[in-house]
Amino acid sequence: MAETRPNIVKRVFAIRGMGQVITVFFGIIVLGSIFGLLNPNFLSDRNMHNLLRQIAPFLIVGIGQSYVLITGNIDLSIGSVLGMSCMISATLMTRGVNPWLAVLLTFIPAVVTGIINGLLVARVKLPPFIATLGTMTIARGIAQVVNGNRNTDAIGQGAQLFRDVFYYGRFNLFGVNFPYNTVWIALGLWLVFNFLLSRTRTGRHIYAVGSNREAAQLSGVNVTKTVVKAYTVSAFCACVAGLIQCAQGGLGTMDSGTTFELFAVAASVIGGVSTLGGQGILLGTIMGACVWGIMQNGLSLANVFVAYRNISVGIIVIISVWADIIVRDGRSRRLRAQAEQAAASLRETTTTN
Amino acid sequence: MTANLVEMRGITKSFPGVRALQEVDFSLRPGEVHALLGENGAGKSTLVKILSGVFAKDGGTVRLFGQIAEHLTPLRAQELGVAIIHQELNLCQHLTVTENIFLGREIVRNGRLCRREMTQAAREVLGRLNIALDPDTIVGNLAISKQQMVEIAKALATDAKVLIMDEPTSALTAKEIDDLFIIIHRLRKEGRGIIYISHRLDELQHIVDRVTILRDGEFITCTNLADTTLPEIIANMVGREINEKFPRVTCKVGKTVFEVKRLNAGRLVRNVSLSLREGEIVGIAGLMGAGRTETMRAIFGVDATSSGEIWLDGSKIDIRHPEDAIKRGVVLVPEDRKRDGLCTRLVIRENIALPNLDILCGPTSFVRRDQERKMANKAMEDLRIKAPHIDVDAASLSGGNQQKVVLGKWLARQARVVIFDEPTRGIDVAAKVEIYNLMNDLKQRGIAILFVSSEMPEILGISDRIIVMCDGRVTGEMPIEDATQEKIMELATQFEVKQ
Repeated sequence: MAETRPNIVKRVFAIRGMGQVITVFFGIIVLGSIFGLLNPNFLSDRNMHNLLRQIAPFLIVGIGQSYVLITGNIDLSIGSVLGMSCMISATLMTRGVNPWLAVLLTFIPAVVTGIINGLLVARVKLPPFIATLGTMTIARGIAQVVNGNRNTDAIGQGAQLFRDVFYYGRFNLFGVNFPYNTVWIALGLWLVFNFLLSRTRTGRHIYAVGSNREAAQLSGVNVTKTVVKAYTVSAFCACVAGLIQCAQGGLGTMDSGTTFELFAVAASVIGGVSTLGGQGILLGTIMGACVWGIMQNGLSLANVFVAYRNISVGIIVIISVWADIIVRDGRSRRLRAQAEQAAASLRETTTTN
Repeated sequence: MTANLVEMRGITKSFPGVRALQEVDFSLRPGEVHALLGENGAGKSTLVKILSGVFAKDGGTVRLFGQIAEHLTPLRAQELGVAIIHQELNLCQHLTVTENIFLGREIVRNGRLCRREMTQAAREVLGRLNIALDPDTIVGNLAISKQQMVEIAKALATDAKVLIMDEPTSALTAKEIDDLFIIIHRLRKEGRGIIYISHRLDELQHIVDRVTILRDGEFITCTNLADTTLPEIIANMVGREINEKFPRVTCKVGKTVFEVKRLNAGRLVRNVSLSLREGEIVGIAGLMGAGRTETMRAIFGVDATSSGEIWLDGSKIDIRHPEDAIKRGVVLVPEDRKRDGLCTRLVIRENIALPNLDILCGPTSFVRRDQERKMANKAMEDLRIKAPHIDVDAASLSGGNQQKVVLGKWLARQARVVIFDEPTRGIDVAAKVEIYNLMNDLKQRGIAILFVSSEMPEILGISDRIIVMCDGRVTGEMPIEDATQEKIMELATQFEVKQ
C-alpha cells in the first residue's frame, strides 16, 4: 500500500479533537459579538488586555488539569496548591528571603504534592477523586498554617521586579501596547506543554494510559511513572498560577485559588478534553479557557449579578459536555457501520482469493 | 404436529453499506436444540438480535408461537418468552442470585420487597434445573460457569420458551460443559427451544438436533445433524473444503534461547519450568484456569513473581516490568485484545508505535513522525490490515483486524521470543489461517514462540512441542509426534489430591 498524504488542510481537520476546537472557536466569536453588542466597551483595547490577563490563570491551571484528565484521572488539589504556593512565596518574601530564591523554594512543596497525588492514584490505587480531595484539604491547611493563619503583609519594595516579571511587566513597541507578562507566561507554558504532550514519548504514554491502562502496561509503558508525571505537571502549573496571584495582589491570601480546580476542569472539557481519558488536545484547553474568561468578563461588563454569572457559566459547561456526547454517539455509530463494512470487504477479498 | 416456536421467513436487514441478512429463513421447534453456525460476520448475531427485538428487520416475517410478531422490542420479546444468554454475562456482580433472577420484576407488596417469597421461588427454579446454588450468594463470588447457570435460571423464572445461547461454552471447563449440556437436555425435555450459537463444532454432536448455516448474511442450509458431517458443515460455513487446515512448516531447530526455571507466582503459577529453542513453536495446552495466562503474565513481568529464574541466551535476566521484557526482546500478545491489547481511542499508527517508542524516539524522547508512519504503514502491508489508512481509530476495525494491529505492535521490533496467548480467539477462519502463517513465518526466522491455546486442534496443528498445564503446574511435555488429544486431556486433568 503506497503511502498517500492528504494536503495540509485535510490533515489539520483529521487531528482528533479538532472538530470540537473549531466549534468552540466559532462559539467564542459568537460570544464576543454578543458581549460587544451589549456593551461596546467589551471590545475596547483596554478590556481586551484585561480579558487576556483574566484568561491567563484559567489557561495555566487548565493545561495541568488537561494532562491529568487525559490519563483518565482528575486533580482536585489544583486550587489548594495554587493557594499554598501563593502563601509560601509571599511569606518567604515578607520574611526577607530573596524573591527569586523564594520562587524556587515555592516549587518544591507544589511538585512534591503532585508526586504524592500521582503515587496515591497509580501506586496505592486510591480513586483519584478521593486521593486529590485529601491532598486538596492538606494543601489548603498548609496555606493557612505557613503564616500563622493570617494573610501576609505586602511583599514590599524588594519584590517589585518579581511582580513585574510574573504579572505587570509589559513592553511597548512602535506605540503598540503588548499584553501583560502574565499572558506571555501562560502562552509560554502552553507552547512547552503542548509540545511535550503531542510530540514526545511521555505525551504518547499519557494518551495510552488514559485510553487503556492495561494495554499500555502490557506495551511496556510504566503506568505509575506516567501518572506521576501528569500530576506533577498539574501541580507545577498550579504553582505558577499561585506565584502569579502573589505577584498580582502583592501579598499572599490564604483562600486564593479556591475552586480553581473546577475552573480547570471546565476549561478542559469545554475545549473537548474527555473526562474518561485518552482524548483531547491542549489547543482545546486554550479555547475552553477563553470561553470561561469571556463569560466572566462579558457578563460582569453587562452588569449581570455574580450569582447569575455562576449559573450561566455552569450551564455552558453542561451544554458543552453534552454536545460532545451527542457528537461522539453519532461518531461511534458511524464507526460501527465502518467496522461492518470493513468486515464485509474482508469477506469479499477472502472469498475471491 | 405442534407449531414451531419460532418461524422466521425471508428476513432481510441492511446496515449502511452492508447487507447483513438476505432472505434468511429460520425455525425452531419445541424441544429442539438448533445450532446457528457461520463464520464471524455471517449474520448469526444480527438474526438473533432481530428475534430478541434489539434490531428492527427491514423485510420478512417473524412468527413467535404461531403469532406474527411485528415491531418487537427487547422488552416485548422478553414478555413473549424469548431470552438471551449472552457471551458476556449480564448480571449485577454485587447482588445476590435471587436479586439477579428477579431484577426488574421484583415481587413487591405495599412498597416492600417480599424477600422470602423471591428466595423461595429462586430456590425452586434452581432446584428444577438441579443446580446446587445458594440463592443468597453474591453473584460476583461465583465461577463463570455458575453465573451462567444463574442466567439460565433467570430466563426460566420468566418462563422463557425460547432460549438463545451465544457461545455458552467458551469460558467453561470440560466438566462444566458437561453440566451445561445436562441442563440443556433438561430444558429440551420441558419442550423449550434452544438456539445454540458456537464456534466449537466438536460440541455439536452432544446436544444439537438441527443446524442452520449462514454465510455472508445468506441462508446456506438447514439440516438434521444426523444427516450431515463435520467436514460438510465446515465446507458450508466457509464455502469451500478445507483440505489443509493447519499450515505446518518444518524448520531446523536451533539452540535453546529462553528458559524459565521453577517460577512461582500466586496460586496459579507453581514451580513452572520450560525451555524454548530457536525456530520452535511450543504449545501450552490446558483447561481454563490451569494457570497458562497467569504464567505468561508472570514471565512478561506484569504480575509479581515470588521465586524462579528466567534465562535468555544463556544468561539470567531480571524482568520486573513488561518494559524489561520488551527491551530484551521478549514480547507478549495478550489474551483479550479489547482489554489488554488495544487502545481503542487511539489510531492504528499510535497503537503500533506504543511499545516501540524507544526505537522511534532515539535518545531525544521526541517521536520521529516519519519513522512512525513508515513503521505503521509497513505493519499494515505486512499483516494485510484492512483499513483505509493508518490514522483510523482502532475501535472501528473488525475483530480480526484489531488482532492484527496488536500483532503489528510486536512485529515492528526485533523479538527473540514471542508469546501468543489465545491469538485466534473470536476471529474468523480466514484471519486464523493468516495468524498461523505469521507464526510459521516468525518460526522460520529463528524466533522462539510460546503458543497458549484452548483449542486442541489448533495446538496439535501448529506446535512442534506441547507442554500441558493443570492447576498452575506443568504436568507433561511431549514432542508433536507423540501428542494425541487423549494424552493431552489426561495430563490436563491431573489434579493433585487436595488434603
